[in-house]
Amino acid sequence: MTAALTWGRLGFRQQRWELILVALGVAATAIAMLWFASQLNGLRAASPGCVPPAAAEFGSCEAALNAYSQIEGLADNMLLLSFGAPFGIGVLLGAPLIAREIDAGTAQLAWSIGRSRVSWLLRRIAFIALFVVVALGVLAVTSEILAAALAPERNLGSDFAWFGRRGWLIVARGLGALMLGMLVGALIGRVLPAILAAALVMALVFTGLSFAQDRWQEGLTETHRMNYSEAGSYLDSGALVINTGLELASGEVVTWSELNERGLEVSYVDEQGRLFASEQDMQDGNLLGYDVEFAIPGARYAGVVAAVGAASVGVGLLALGLTAVVVGRRRPV
Amino acid sequence: MTAVLEARGLAKRYRRGVWALGGIDLELPAGGITALVGPNAAGKSTLLKTWVGFEKPTRGSAAVMGLDPWRQRSQALANLGYVPQSPALYDGLSVDDHLDLAVQLRPGFDRAHARERLDQLGIPRGAGARNLSGGQQAQVSLALALGTRAPILLLDEPLASLDPLARREFLHVLTDAVRDGGATTLLSSHIVTDVEQSCDRLIVLGVGQVLLHDTVANAMASHAISTSDRADAIAAFAAPDGSRIWLVRGAGDRPATLDEVVLGYLASARTSSAVAA
Repeated sequence: MTAALTWGRLGFRQQRWELILVALGVAATAIAMLWFASQLNGLRAASPGCVPPAAAEFGSCEAALNAYSQIEGLADNMLLLSFGAPFGIGVLLGAPLIAREIDAGTAQLAWSIGRSRVSWLLRRIAFIALFVVVALGVLAVTSEILAAALAPERNLGSDFAWFGRRGWLIVARGLGALMLGMLVGALIGRVLPAILAAALVMALVFTGLSFAQDRWQEGLTETHRMNYSEAGSYLDSGALVINTGLELASGEVVTWSELNERGLEVSYVDEQGRLFASEQDMQDGNLLGYDVEFAIPGARYAGVVAAVGAASVGVGLLALGLTAVVVGRRRPV
Repeated sequence: MTAVLEARGLAKRYRRGVWALGGIDLELPAGGITALVGPNAAGKSTLLKTWVGFEKPTRGSAAVMGLDPWRQRSQALANLGYVPQSPALYDGLSVDDHLDLAVQLRPGFDRAHARERLDQLGIPRGAGARNLSGGQQAQVSLALALGTRAPILLLDEPLASLDPLARREFLHVLTDAVRDGGATTLLSSHIVTDVEQSCDRLIVLGVGQVLLHDTVANAMASHAISTSDRADAIAAFAAPDGSRIWLVRGAGDRPATLDEVVLGYLASARTSSAVAA
């Protein structure tokens, strides 16, 4: 307990202003999310015939609909904050963690008294990592509450709506970003340059991860024929649509860009989602193929979140391992 | 004679191509206080940092109690207490917080011993490090090093930024502690008069080379000053009155002070590097 207090005190004193700034930002965002959720729920309860808009009767619901759509738009933007928060917090808390020790010369003290720099590193990061988990955990919960208020009719546990902007993926990304920022700080050893470089590295690494995630998700998709005559033309309302394309009459499935590369064109689509190269073909019943979507079913949401979260934490652990190597080999000033 | 600190052909080149140490051989026996003196950029800090494991040798080797401080850092550090050039204390932490941290970092850290030293000096343990004077910060750094109860203490110019009174107090505390605890101490400084009263041995380092390594008594007894040039003179340098004097081995016109011994060897290094250039 004494050990935890000592390291906690050191972590807080070394990054007091960043921690206060993050705590205030998270608290304000969480309170705003809960307020928007209560407003949305209140409007729904007060005007059950008008809100949500799908249930509205035209003419008598204008005021309620206006109020709802205004709050809905702002609430949706609030969820953008929970998408960006892990990266911002990672830069702000991760980059100065080791950089400040090197910059101020205190690493000399710690590395000459302590026998193991790795042990020092792990204890040094523990308090900040715990703070990040708690802070982003609050955002994870409040973002789920807000999303549930935005779409109460949906089962968000198996729904890709606001994917990456709600739930525990925020925490996993925050941990990854924190450790990546720490690695940059350990390499550079100066606080301000480390913060700037960490922002750049964070953008590059997580953009790369996003591309890798897209490629991986393509492998999880199911092909679904569109039918515009049916209300539920999509695979399911919670699915994550990755791409669209065609299923040719031969049974071969191609994307639109692949179709263009072959010099084929689609001129007509009927209500059943059937595609024809020309009006004549349509009249003759000469089918080119079917309009299809490639989507991940909503039922796989939890699995995808777990995998993407694990990848983020994995990047973080890799960064932590590299930080241990850097700290073990570098000069303390 | 068992060497507690060793350097064998130790050379260190920094990234910009500057050689801080040019392949030195050194053995420091156990016990006493040794002064490591030399001008700025002589390689004193680099040598100490190599033993602490902060610098990796470019060539040669360094050893602490026979242990490689780079490859066996943990075991080597267990034998070392280190005081850096400028006190590197955590601004936001109190003196007591530093002692708590040291207890966490170092198994067997003697908090009571460190506290006793600080209390004797009247340093408020509840005070924030940023509120302490330079002398007090240096004393806290020394107390932290002493609290490790390490058999070897390395002090990297801890006196450089202190006023004369603080310097004297620091040396007094250091001498007492070392005499009580028996730690082998290596104190680097470029102010010879400060270390003259406290140190048993002397190492003069210049242009990355060991120029002299002897006991203080022997260094003074075996050198003298000549007021005229001699073939066996080590080097010539300016006396305080502006006249030219020569440091010689053996008898001369008058005995050499420790300051003059050091100056003579530093002048000899300058002359030989100028000739080499």
